[in-house]
Amino acid sequence: MSQTEKFSAVESLALIESMINKAQNKYSENGTLYLLWGWVVFLCAVLHYGLLTFTELGKSASLVWLLTLLAMAYQLYYIITQQKKAKVKNYTDEIIGYVWMVFGICMGLVTLIISQLGTWQLLYAFILLFYGMPTFLTGAIMRFNPLKIGGLLCWTLSVCSVFVQGREIILLLIPAVLGAWIIPGYLLRAKFKNSNNG
Amino acid sequence: MFKELDPILHSQLRLAVMSLLISVKEAEFTFIKEKTNATAGNLSVQVQKLKDAGYIEVIKQFKDNYPQTTCKVTPEGVKAFEAYVQALQQYLKV
Repeated sequence: MSQTEKFSAVESLALIESMINKAQNKYSENGTLYLLWGWVVFLCAVLHYGLLTFTELGKSASLVWLLTLLAMAYQLYYIITQQKKAKVKNYTDEIIGYVWMVFGICMGLVTLIISQLGTWQLLYAFILLFYGMPTFLTGAIMRFNPLKIGGLLCWTLSVCSVFVQGREIILLLIPAVLGAWIIPGYLLRAKFKNSNNG
Repeated sequence: MFKELDPILHSQLRLAVMSLLISVKEAEFTFIKEKTNATAGNLSVQVQKLKDAGYIEVIKQFKDNYPQTTCKVTPEGVKAFEAYVQALQQYLKV
């Protein structure tokens, strides 16, 4: 690309458009964290339900959720290494990062408040409600419909949870994470591979 | 009466760099080089001109013991870019 060559107004606008497209076409989301959290929550939900149903562990069964601490530690490591590798920082990734940070804080607070003042069934209903919020918003920001559908699914399951007030409420997490994180995660991974090969 | 096109921006490589940077928060020199297909030497000269004009900020630091150059558009650069696009639109309306 020559630096001194003068060019017409039409060529200038075409160049601006092409460079903006080049900057935006690089798909930075590879779905790793969606898959990580999707499968961790899936596993915890299955184990928790299994332990409650087939063992006498009772409340101690909820300790399976400590697995999420490992996921958090990996997430922290992953974000730090990705930030080091990144050659470009864009506004979309930053906004999405804030959306998930708000979700994490709200989830932590809601878990604390409801575990003290409410019932664990109520906690699951709120978890489903909260899963929908960042999922839908991320889908809207990235213009990625599978995430928007996943968000809507979480909200629908949250409503369903009102009618499932036994331990089966835990099982509602399975379709929620499948629809909101696992399936979109694999779709994002495929899109990322295509974008980087293309 | 047509506005005169900003001579700093009315150059292919400098305009390409500004168009890239306007769409992101910040970008490494290597990213800009890859997207513009420019040589490192040529790109360095043009980046320096944009920096001297106050249109971009250039941050030089070390990452894992390697020098790293990051560029980002300044508010003045955003204004200049917007004025340049408006001037282009004026030309094209004729």
